Amino acid sequence: MRFELKVALRYLLSNRVQSALLIGGVAIAVTVFTFNAALINGLAEFQIQRVVGSSAHVIIEPAKPTPARLKSADGAERLTATQRSLDRRAQIKQWRTIADSVENLPGVTAMSLNILGTGLVSRGQMTMPITLKGVEPSRLSAIAPVNDSIIAGEPRLGLNDVLIGRKLATDLGLGVGQPVFVQSDQGRERTLTVRGIYTTGVDSLDARLGYVNLETARVLFDLPEGLSEIELKLENIYAARDLARQIANGTGLEVSAWMDKNQRLREALEGQGSSGSIIKMFTLITIVVGVASALLLTTMRRRPEIGIMRSFGLSERFVLSVFMLQGALIGIIGSVIGCLAGFGFSTLVAGITTSSGGRLPVEPALGQYQSALLLAAAASIIAAFWPARSASRIDPVEAISQ
Amino acid sequence: MSTSTMKMNQPVLDVQNLRKVFIDKDFETPVLKGVTFTLERGEMVALLGPSGSGKSTLLTILGTLMRPTSGSLQMLGEDLTRFSPDALTEFRNRKIGFIFQYHHLLPDFTALENVMFPHAGRVGRETAYARERASMLLDRVGLRDRMHYRATRLSGGQKQRVAVARALMNEPALILADEPTGNLDRENADQVFALMTEIQRETGTTFLISTHDREMAERCGRRIHMRGGVVVSQARESGIPALRVIDKTVARLETAQLRDAGR
Repeated sequence: MRFELKVALRYLLSNRVQSALLIGGVAIAVTVFTFNAALINGLAEFQIQRVVGSSAHVIIEPAKPTPARLKSADGAERLTATQRSLDRRAQIKQWRTIADSVENLPGVTAMSLNILGTGLVSRGQMTMPITLKGVEPSRLSAIAPVNDSIIAGEPRLGLNDVLIGRKLATDLGLGVGQPVFVQSDQGRERTLTVRGIYTTGVDSLDARLGYVNLETARVLFDLPEGLSEIELKLENIYAARDLARQIANGTGLEVSAWMDKNQRLREALEGQGSSGSIIKMFTLITIVVGVASALLLTTMRRRPEIGIMRSFGLSERFVLSVFMLQGALIGIIGSVIGCLAGFGFSTLVAGITTSSGGRLPVEPALGQYQSALLLAAAASIIAAFWPARSASRIDPVEAISQ
Repeated sequence: MSTSTMKMNQPVLDVQNLRKVFIDKDFETPVLKGVTFTLERGEMVALLGPSGSGKSTLLTILGTLMRPTSGSLQMLGEDLTRFSPDALTEFRNRKIGFIFQYHHLLPDFTALENVMFPHAGRVGRETAYARERASMLLDRVGLRDRMHYRATRLSGGQKQRVAVARALMNEPALILADEPTGNLDRENADQVFALMTEIQRETGTTFLISTHDREMAERCGRRIHMRGGVVVSQARESGIPALRVIDKTVARLETAQLRDAGR
């Protein structure tokens, strides 16, 4: 063992109460750090899972035709008003080839081919707007878990069937098996039967969204060939952006990832993340202040001893190392204990069931233990530097005569 | 810092016209006003003088813990005034041993560790050599059975004997002792002094001992008297062999007593 390390250890052991308090202080700070990380990251993961659990991770949509612009021959800038052409319906015409290749991409776990359109549903004198999503019956639950959210009827989509949300069913007074009149924005009309009623827990969705058979949607929205969108689910949700870029490059279509479609979620996550960072920063400051002040007291108390060491010819570097090592030992031992405590505490809290029957969104695995260890140890070493340097510069003559 | 060029007849210490002036703001206090003397290899010299005569300052400068204002300071042929701070630190470690009035042992370490400290601190490890030499030295100062005692568990006399062993650890050429028995009772003081005398004779290490104790000073080969920052006399021993023999006999008797006391 390096002699400096032996001396540092001996000093820590000689004042057990102070060392225990110091290590305890670092451990508590690291516990707060890791628990905070487990909570913030757990919460983020919980929110992400809730969003991505019921929505697509990658959405492929028709390319938006941008008006062509001719460059003038003389190179001069001319201001012109341009408008996107809406003469043609936006649709994915070559969807068969795209669907075939996309579905086989690695990491893609599910795919849904959709036609989206708006219309009106009415019963008697009551008329409500509706968004209809035409899907293949076999892939009804490929994206959102529609199967599991049916509260009445069954998740079946025959050619004349429609699945509606609970809010719409209540508003129109509709029950399973009852007919409903649908008029699409393309002017097509049809009478469909309510085959099932679902609930997502989000009223605005439950009031607006209905599911129909893809073939029914073709007729209603007058799209004999194309699709409105292709939705994908991925194994790794964080690969969505890369995959979206890849598909966009390969097809020239408009492809977006879930995180780009959920501005609000992103803002919420960023907000949580930065408040978490502030808490982490304060725990690190606590470590620096605590370790620095305690070590400063130690070096004060040991001034005569430091003077003696210098008098028998031990270098400034030796003294510096002894006190830096004390800081490092405090930091490393404290943060190891803190990580264990943080993991234990997060696990304990994650196991608590709330009064509403849910779980607290704490994820013990996301406690950022590595960075906690590294940062806390680094903070302790940095904190030790100043006292250690002042110790190494003690004038031996003055210190001995104390 | 090669000592290979050192000649055997070269003095261990050669001090010429050494001055030290303490400056506090605009107020100058001259403490050493031109000190000149040499110490030969194997000498045991007492440094005498009233408080404030500059003894401590002189020892501090000779111990390279402080730089002189002017004058020449040569040790083993090396001009120490030209050394960098780091070089001085290493020189101090290898060539100079300190014994203070208060033992100044490190309280968290055992007697053995305290003795090894100057060596282990320099090389970064407690080597087998250091362990062996430290054990031998502790045995020599009669503390074989106290080797693994913490410094705090030793008596005053025992602590000072550990301090003597520690000063000898790196086989220094010069040992500077600042009133080494000033803090001990008569019996312990005599034991420690006798021990230093013996070791000095066995090893040929040069000792410069600052003391107020006339009796001890008489037993040194030479006495340097200081007053008001200058050396006023440096009487060399008469050199009567009989005196030396008597000295030796007394010392042996004392060591025997000391060993009995240690048991």
